[in-house]
Amino acid sequence: MKAADEVMDICLLAGEIMLTYGAETYRVEETLERMARSSGFTNVHCFTTTTGIFLSFEERKGKEDLMQMVRVDDRMQDLNKVTEVNQVSREFTAGELTVEEADQRLKAISKAPIHYPIWLIHLAAGVAGSGFSYLFGGGLQDLLPAYLAAVIASVTLVEFERYLKVRFAAELAAAFVGGSVAILLVFIGVGNNLDQIIIGSLMPLVPGVPLTNAVRDLLSGDLLAGMSRGVEALLTSLSIASGIALSISLFL
Amino acid sequence: MDLIIELLMTFAAIIGFGVIFSVPKRALLLGGGIGVVTWFVLQTGINMGTSAIFATVLASLTAATIAHLLAKKIRIPVTTLSIPGILPLVPGSRAYFTMLAFVDGDYLLGLEYGVETMLQAGAIAAGLVLALSIFSFGKGIGNRYETGH
Repeated sequence: MKAADEVMDICLLAGEIMLTYGAETYRVEETLERMARSSGFTNVHCFTTTTGIFLSFEERKGKEDLMQMVRVDDRMQDLNKVTEVNQVSREFTAGELTVEEADQRLKAISKAPIHYPIWLIHLAAGVAGSGFSYLFGGGLQDLLPAYLAAVIASVTLVEFERYLKVRFAAELAAAFVGGSVAILLVFIGVGNNLDQIIIGSLMPLVPGVPLTNAVRDLLSGDLLAGMSRGVEALLTSLSIASGIALSISLFL
Repeated sequence: MDLIIELLMTFAAIIGFGVIFSVPKRALLLGGGIGVVTWFVLQTGINMGTSAIFATVLASLTAATIAHLLAKKIRIPVTTLSIPGILPLVPGSRAYFTMLAFVDGDYLLGLEYGVETMLQAGAIAAGLVLALSIFSFGKGIGNRYETGH
């Protein structure tokens, strides 16, 4: 039997990291319940929504009930952290890690910087953008303008979020800047198919993680979390659409 | 020849997306490979004369099935593979033309494109759900009658 307080702390830390960085609701609940059960506690219950985690268990039958919750505000996309926490919980459940070791590993994961450097993410956004502009029917001469527009949109998104910290407005600004850059590039003669360049440059902004998680959550019975994630993805898509609509009605 | 260039483009674009979503390094190439298979299934389906929506369901089902199998094998969360897998199906082009038609004030055309966008998004979800149902046989949640006892 391990100290209930400490197990509660590492469970909630693991859940908080997973939920923040884009794990599905069912995965958070299942991981936390497994970790608590493997430490010898009974009557384990976990309830998770998109914005918070509740966990309760009892140390001895009928006595010493524990119940805590954490509120999760940030929602980012870093699937590497989800994978690493998954690994820690697997080893902890199998009894290969002590509570202290698990605590250290989780804190290290929580403090670690993003898996790929931010400049690489910008360049990757460019590659994704130009690739998709070709797939949506653009020509080879449209690869370069789509690349530039996608990189600039990605830089706008990240810097806007860093300094102003407003949800949805960052996507709107990124879509506006990306669309304007694409229009400017076609205007000065780089690239032919404006539509395909704009679509390509906006693809990296697509909310892929919340969209997929919404489907998964709805199907596994977490209706509340599924609906809220779906609405989050919908709002993100709408703000992208408004940003690009703004730039098109201003400059075309 | 065109298809080969498209497949290469898909591979590069999906790897780019993998970096954007911070997919762990050992899953990057696998995700790109699943994306290539998805695009191939989609294009083959359309070339063989099925509707775009049905081809999307097939492609999404293939992607999600491969993602589930591989995720079990290399022990990572299935989303790290299924998200790159379904990305080539995202109806970005249709969504853009919907927005464009509404900006131009052509509401009927906008609605037409909008319905197509919704159908394609629904088709992706349907493929994901089908694969998920196959892989959660015996683990699902109760729905109507207690037949277990």
